Amino acid sequence: MEVHYRVRWPVRLEVGFQVRGFTVLLGKSGVGKTTLLRALAGLVPGEGRPYGGLPPERRPVGYLPQDLALFPHMTAWENVAFPLKGPGRRAKALALLARVGLEAHAHKRPSQLSGGQRQRVALARALAREPELLLLDEPTSALDPLTKGQVLGELVGLIRREGLPALAVSHDPLLAGMADWLVVMGQGVILQEGLPAEVLSSPARVEVARLLGYENLFPAQALAEGVEVAGVRLRLALPPWARPGERVWLGVRAAEVIVVRPERPPPPENVLEGVLESLHPEGLAYRGVFRGPLELQILLPRHIQERLHLRAGQGLRVVLKPRYLHLMPG
Amino acid sequence: MPEPQFWTALRLSLEVASLASSFLLLLGIPLAWSLAFHRFPGKPLVEAVLLLPLVLPPTVLGFYLLLFLGPEGPWQRITGLTWAFRFEGLVLASVLFSLPFTLTAYREAFLALDPNLLEVARTLGVPRWRVWRHVILPLVWPGLLSGTLLAFAHTLGEFGVVLMVGGSIPGKTQMVSIYLYDLVQALRFAEAARAAFVLLLVSLAILVAVRLLERRWRAWRSTTG
Repeated sequence: MEVHYRVRWPVRLEVGFQVRGFTVLLGKSGVGKTTLLRALAGLVPGEGRPYGGLPPERRPVGYLPQDLALFPHMTAWENVAFPLKGPGRRAKALALLARVGLEAHAHKRPSQLSGGQRQRVALARALAREPELLLLDEPTSALDPLTKGQVLGELVGLIRREGLPALAVSHDPLLAGMADWLVVMGQGVILQEGLPAEVLSSPARVEVARLLGYENLFPAQALAEGVEVAGVRLRLALPPWARPGERVWLGVRAAEVIVVRPERPPPPENVLEGVLESLHPEGLAYRGVFRGPLELQILLPRHIQERLHLRAGQGLRVVLKPRYLHLMPG
Repeated sequence: MPEPQFWTALRLSLEVASLASSFLLLLGIPLAWSLAFHRFPGKPLVEAVLLLPLVLPPTVLGFYLLLFLGPEGPWQRITGLTWAFRFEGLVLASVLFSLPFTLTAYREAFLALDPNLLEVARTLGVPRWRVWRHVILPLVWPGLLSGTLLAFAHTLGEFGVVLMVGGSIPGKTQMVSIYLYDLVQALRFAEAARAAFVLLLVSLAILVAVRLLERRWRAWRSTTG
């Protein structure tokens, strides 16, 4: 499904992108993500397709706002039955609740349900309207951080099973990893879209890289067979757009800065020598800062640290493998 | 026990208050809704005019109403009816006098509605009347009812406006507050004390009901979050 929209108020935006399966639109707060969703639902004035010019009542969308807006005075099944008409509404609502795995909670009020359960009631209510497109505003925000990943995985699984295209806007990179199609939005414009693996591994611009959590980003100059960053020459194959002498951005993820093991011979290229300035546990991994010709954030998996026993203050050699170095236009 | 004339006056007051509260409910809901959510030119002026009875001395309001409703007044010229010193005049005066209280209470009830609920209801393709019946009214009724009860109690206690518009014709326009005043003027303090005590109990009962409703309403609202 193609989406093309222009909105002037409350945020100015003009965007065009595709929705394929479970699509995540990633962007910082304030770039107009929520406004775009509300424009698609017909709740703020906007022009474009699909559904341009229709009042909200006549747009076949299932809109789940950030706070879900379940009716607090109704039970779960009454919420789901709200858009339904006729004598079979109760049975239909219960069937929809069963589809999202909540038949046992049909008689509870929203305040008696967990964040993830409320989300599924809101999904069932949206499905009752028989939409063509689901719109989800920050689906991660109402969830408990400890169970967020699992609850989201279940939600995305349910939506995929329904076979409905969905557009979820978020600033949470965790959600981006679950998408079928990833769209990255800047201030009022689309910066990049594509398959998540493509976008995550090769952001088209430095703004996208920042949003996707690239910890190490440097301005650099393209050379014939690599780049020069702060006086350091690194070898890599230039992408077709880059010409020697051009200003570019170099990005590398902390997890893809590789520590050279002392007992092994160092690789032939892109080795940097310096000091491990700090090292702290982060979950089961370890995050540290390497200071040498460049200052780099590094992220060591547990199995590496258990073998190397690195400590802050010690000397360290790291290698920046060409395949993990990513260039973007300057 | 108070004398029969007291019960006649109390009955009249209760009738006027019931009728005025019903009109306020009908008139107040759309007015308060548009004051809460719609923007239109001259809105501050409209709000000021509607709130005027709150600050105006009741006798001033009563005086203008008397001119408006009295013989040869504009109301008679338009409709051919004279409502001064009649039941209808008392009801109209009570509606105008209690309108600001009711509007303020209703508007607060509407503004406490979570706007997301109304938006989502629209996206679910449900007709407006069903949104009112199943979402708006169930969530705001305690607020509407407490506002209406306050207007009712306020009407029972009004004095200046009804005295100007209705006078004090026993059995016809003598409301209970005026009856009490007349007793005191006649130095009949024992009867006045009995009448005052009954009024005190009625007013207290209404306020307790309002407080209970407000508590219930807060409990509703806290589950919205």
